[in-house]
Amino acid sequence: MPVEPKLSHTAAMILQAIHAGQIYGFSVMEMTGLPSGTVYPAMRRLERDGLIVSKWEQASIAEAEQRPPRKYYKLTRTGRATLELIYRRYPLLEKMIPSSPARKA
Amino acid sequence: MVNALPVSRVLLLCASFLAPQEVRAEWLAEWEAELWHVRRAGNGHAGRKQPSSREPEGKPYAAVRRRRLAIAFCLGAFPDALWLRRNGRRQAPHFIFYAGSAPRCGLGLVIVAAASMLLCCCLPGARKSLLPLPYRDAASLAIISSGGYSASQLPGVRLSDYQSWRTNGGSVFQEVAFYRPAAASVRIADRPETLTIARASQNLFALLNLPSAGSGDLHTSRLMLSYQAWQRLFPGGSDVTGRVVEIAGQPVSIAGVLPQNFWRLPGRMDGWMLEREQGLDALPPNSKGFVLARLRISPLAGGSDGWRSIIVTRSGGEIDRFTCLSLARQSRQPFSIFLFTLFLACVALPATTPLPLGDYPEHGVRLPRSIRARRWIFLAAKFALVAPTVFFCSADLAYGVSAPGSPASFYIQFASSFIGLLFAFRWTLRDQRKRCPVCLRLLSNPARVGQASRNFLAWNGTELICAKGHGLLHIPELTTSWCGAQRWLYLDASWRGLFSDGYVPAGGAI
Repeated sequence: MPVEPKLSHTAAMILQAIHAGQIYGFSVMEMTGLPSGTVYPAMRRLERDGLIVSKWEQASIAEAEQRPPRKYYKLTRTGRATLELIYRRYPLLEKMIPSSPARKA
Repeated sequence: MVNALPVSRVLLLCASFLAPQEVRAEWLAEWEAELWHVRRAGNGHAGRKQPSSREPEGKPYAAVRRRRLAIAFCLGAFPDALWLRRNGRRQAPHFIFYAGSAPRCGLGLVIVAAASMLLCCCLPGARKSLLPLPYRDAASLAIISSGGYSASQLPGVRLSDYQSWRTNGGSVFQEVAFYRPAAASVRIADRPETLTIARASQNLFALLNLPSAGSGDLHTSRLMLSYQAWQRLFPGGSDVTGRVVEIAGQPVSIAGVLPQNFWRLPGRMDGWMLEREQGLDALPPNSKGFVLARLRISPLAGGSDGWRSIIVTRSGGEIDRFTCLSLARQSRQPFSIFLFTLFLACVALPATTPLPLGDYPEHGVRLPRSIRARRWIFLAAKFALVAPTVFFCSADLAYGVSAPGSPASFYIQFASSFIGLLFAFRWTLRDQRKRCPVCLRLLSNPARVGQASRNFLAWNGTELICAKGHGLLHIPELTTSWCGAQRWLYLDASWRGLFSDGYVPAGGAI
């Protein structure tokens, strides 16, 4: 049985933002309004705890768009389960950062 | 005016020195990529919110705003790099990959065992020595040698003795065959070659159940080529049968080619010249060679353990002893040596390390049966993996450097197998003693406790701890009547919080 994790509201917002499709650090910043000094360490911690994983995008895609390749983040299965539990603690979270309909399904 | 991009990049470079070296390059690449997007957003390419109506418009103000945005973004790199420095471990590894975990140890042993077996398959000598003999009824086939087991690889039987056994040995031998290796000059299609050719009796391959070698014209000499010689002299040639070559000036027709790895008897030959008995009679009677015999009574019967002794009394009253060694026994030699050294290692093991695994008191903590069983299964699995590893390694060593069946291979395998098994078993026991009985991880953080001078008044020794908080191991410095072996102390659940490497609880909110 999963135990409800103790995530701060900030961490929960970041987790929800990634779930909502903001998969890059800067886009999470834009969505949540949090500074980079908060967002990046929080994402490192979420990654360390296995709630999100990071991957580098393919260099060919970045080259085609003439920009440096970015590192993107996505939720793990544990992260999704944790988020479901977090909604009980922060009921307004989903309303603040709504998930796309496809992700809800 | 100072350009914003260099300042931002300088900030990032400075911050990167705070990040651990092993992740620095990747960390910097991520931040620089994000900075590119921050700049782009500042230029209004992305969906970044536009300046409010109260903010002044115009190029200078936009540039200042972009610069501020980029610098503010890059300043966030410092806490990120500091976080990485403080929490060097980027992601908790899977339990299999914890240093010293039981699955990792088992995986390592499986890999070593598989590698040694693979090496055994790659070394021709080692592979040949472990494969079963290709001869039917090998238990009744025997090699006769004059100097005991160790001399069976050298030609030591006189032609005259072979001839005597052929005519008078009917009560013991069903059939005997002779071969005598020697270097011979061979002319193949006007091309001279020097090959090792054995002059052999015509029934040699019939005894080994290779019927094709016994067919053809039995009134003339025929040559059987080894697979390697055929590959070397007639590369890819399928029409060698019937070709005539000259051996020492005598024309001989090729009867065929031996299958690969078929020849497992002493001697390494390029070919066998099968001759009629009259041809062999032309050799000097004292010429020494090998004698292969099919025995009427299996040498394994009657508790003879695969060998017999033959005593020949010469005309002058002189006595010669011959050893009749079963081919089946020779093929079992690697396994027999291994089993014997296994026995010796088991006997010698208590002299190198204590056999008990220590005291694991059950009062207070009653471990589930599955956890207790897992510990013993792990120990048994380690024994089961190190034994074949040593067997294959010793076979690689012995038969990779010396010919199978030779005295050198015997001694090398014996020594390497015994030493290998002894040290492997010793390691297995010592490794087991250093593991937590609950999670089977290697114990860590050894700490010296007590003083040697107070050994009789207080406890003196070393303490190790389970990284998951299952308990402590006390290893006494000196064996005493009250502390004779290492002792395990289980820690109860109240200690777990100190050792938890799982998720950080409430106090550690991000």
